[in-house]
Amino acid sequence: MKKDASYHILRIAVGITFVWIGILIFQSPEAWGGFVEPWVENLLPLPLKDIMLATAAVDVVIGFFLLVDVYVWIFGFLGALHLATVLITSGITAVTVRDIGLLGGLIAITLVSWKTKAR
Amino acid sequence: MTAHALLFTLAAIGLSETAYLIRKRKASQKPLCFIGENCAAVLSSRHNKTFVLMHNDVAGFLFYVGISIITAFLVIGVPPASFWLLLAKIGIFAGVALSCFFIFLQWKVVRAWCFWCLMSSFTIFAMALIILIKNLIV
Repeated sequence: MKKDASYHILRIAVGITFVWIGILIFQSPEAWGGFVEPWVENLLPLPLKDIMLATAAVDVVIGFFLLVDVYVWIFGFLGALHLATVLITSGITAVTVRDIGLLGGLIAITLVSWKTKAR
Repeated sequence: MTAHALLFTLAAIGLSETAYLIRKRKASQKPLCFIGENCAAVLSSRHNKTFVLMHNDVAGFLFYVGISIITAFLVIGVPPASFWLLLAKIGIFAGVALSCFFIFLQWKVVRAWCFWCLMSSFTIFAMALIILIKNLIV
């Protein structure tokens, strides 16, 4: 598949979203932890705040690699997995429903970049 | 928060753009040129290394990474906020001055226009405008 302008626009937009969400989670991890379903919280091996801080770091790393267009096939795939996990652990609410759109975008980015795996 | 989000978005766009230029240069490929036909003339001119130690694209990349980090620190609330604000102000207005210099170089010295260089300049001008309008620097 050819990487055209639309691919790069989507990649940069999703990258910005990921890094920005990561920063917002770093700002108030407890508030973002409020989206996690109670049944998931019971299964966590670490305090929810620590898990949210780790999530923030993962978001920033995924977003950065999407922005600089390096190993996008890996980080797009990881991002899609991450978002699928978010949808499962937080349920589909009025706020998280937008993750469905992001997930679709990440799947598209991964499929296009998969063909040219080398960076 | 809105001003910070806009600043961060612009910095992220600049970061992607300079990463693209670095990759093209490393691969010895010509970047896409949407305005004019002489992007390569500008990017391969002797003025592509204003900073002795590094190419302009690397300097730009570091600049945008720096602004992204500073914006993140301001949003997260890493102290001292006044220092980060001052650093952002100095960085962005130094970037404006340098961008004006690069536009002058393209116009009068190299006599060719580079789409990516102009885009980077306008990204920095937009950052300065956000700071001025929102009076981020208290």
